[in-house]
Amino acid sequence: MLLKLGSMLAVVAAWFGLSLLLPATVLPGPWQTLNVLLENIADGQVHQHLLATLGRVLGGLALAMAVGVPVGIIMGLNRFAEKTLDVWVMVALTVPSLCYAILAFIWIGLNETAAIVAIGLTSAPSITINLWEGVKNIDTRLFKMARVFNASRWVIVRRVLFPQVLPYIMASLRFGLGIVWKITVLVELLGRPDGVGFQLFYWYQLADMAQVLAWTLLFTLVMLFIELVILQRLERRLFAWRPEVRL
Amino acid sequence: MEADNGIRVEGLIKEFPGQRVLDGLNLTVGNGEFVCLLGPSGCGKSTLLNILSGLDSDYRGSVHFGGRPMVPGGKPPATIGYLFQEPRLLPWLSAERNVDFALENSRVPRSRWGDIKDRYFALTGLQPFRDYYPHELSGGMAQRLSLVRALAIEPDVLFMDEPFSGLDELTARRLRVDLLDIWRETGKTILFITHNSYEATFLGDRVVVLSQGGIHNQISVDVPRPRDYDDAALFQVGKTVSATFIEAAEAAERARARGTRSSH
Ligand SMILES: Nc1ncnc2c1ncn2[C@@H]1O[C@H](COP(=O)(O)OP(=O)(O)OP(=O)(O)O)[C@@H](O)[C@H]1O
Ligand SMILES: [Mg+2]
Repeated sequence: MLLKLGSMLAVVAAWFGLSLLLPATVLPGPWQTLNVLLENIADGQVHQHLLATLGRVLGGLALAMAVGVPVGIIMGLNRFAEKTLDVWVMVALTVPSLCYAILAFIWIGLNETAAIVAIGLTSAPSITINLWEGVKNIDTRLFKMARVFNASRWVIVRRVLFPQVLPYIMASLRFGLGIVWKITVLVELLGRPDGVGFQLFYWYQLADMAQVLAWTLLFTLVMLFIELVILQRLERRLFAWRPEVRL
Repeated sequence: MEADNGIRVEGLIKEFPGQRVLDGLNLTVGNGEFVCLLGPSGCGKSTLLNILSGLDSDYRGSVHFGGRPMVPGGKPPATIGYLFQEPRLLPWLSAERNVDFALENSRVPRSRWGDIKDRYFALTGLQPFRDYYPHELSGGMAQRLSLVRALAIEPDVLFMDEPFSGLDELTARRLRVDLLDIWRETGKTILFITHNSYEATFLGDRVVVLSQGGIHNQISVDVPRPRDYDDAALFQVGKTVSATFIEAAEAAERARARGTRSSH
């Protein structure tokens, strides 16, 4: 924790140092950026854009997990599914996120659904790969044990498969969040009239670096909060049974 | 009337790609009999237990439990307790919840779980560790826990795959005696795999030595029970078993050498 705090301070200090060397139109200092951010918040517009973006992040993440997790699990457990699907997962992964966004906006229209579909489908393949690799490591001997002890198929799925897959689901959730928010910003820039991505693009066109950095900072802080405070706590509670790894 | 839970295996053939592991095996285990199975590593002992417990339905030949035929792909027609070669515990459940997992899927009424668990946890010396997770148990403790699990469901037939091989000799001795007590009390049919000739002799009514996919030889242990480790008669039988086992292993090796030569 102390280490994290220290490294953050060091980065802020470096930012400060660099901003002294460069003109403020290229790199405004941390102080100036924070000021702009506070002004924005005082204006009362921030939460509207932030909520719009967070809504898309959550919607996109939910869609990506809903598609990516089952496909990944099936590919990890079933050799036939693995052989038929792996090419397609690779193809889906290779298509640039910009293509998904453009196609979604053209086919579905310039609306919220299209945004979420674009975000979800872009991140689903990464989540699939994450789970597919993970599920390959699970201990199939435990399924045999459960079968000998007369467990039904449903009991095996719920009490033997699911607990083994859960760590990989959690990992892919965190990993997915990291991808999804980047794509969300891109999608907003392309086809939404609000959100952090829209704001970034707007201030970029006006060449207002302090605003660009202020929005970036805001979004980074919110994501760090979700990652460090919410997800890590949840993980610690879910996996209390695990041996603790101390480095 | 007590049901008959003897096992009859006839003409059992099991093939893996490129090798025939069981080659027309015939084996009977009487109802309530304690049979030890001995054989060189890789001769198909675990494979046999997997077939008998219904885990592997890809075989030829017939299996009966007390005259009831086993249908490949279906459940075995007897309640089976299986102690695997490794503990196979669920790592996210405490010791006690691991036993509950087996009980929940068994026909033992919930009202008796408490007594059953108390008894077997005490017997295996695991009473103080009921709330421990598997990673907090030693290898031997984990193996004892899987013994508790196998016994708790009150099986008709008990399959044990080298259950005591990872334990220190003192613990193993104690558990062998306890196992014989439980067996005497409950009259279960037991098929017990081991690499240890003297363990097989001490425990079994009969020792069956496997080799090259079939029975190499069998030896009845006609030493009255309760037996004593240091009984001279028992030691004598153990020596015979040991010699037979080595003979079987050497025969298997010669056969393998012939096999590799002819395939070149
Ligand atoms: N799933 C499998 N696929 C292919 N071959 C297998 C499989 N399981 C076992 N075998 C082969 O079958 C043979 C018998 O294996 P098995 O595990 O039954 O031996 P074992 O008698 O239990 O040996 P050990 O005493 O070392 O436990 C071995 O040659 C092994 O390589
Ligand atoms: Mg084995």
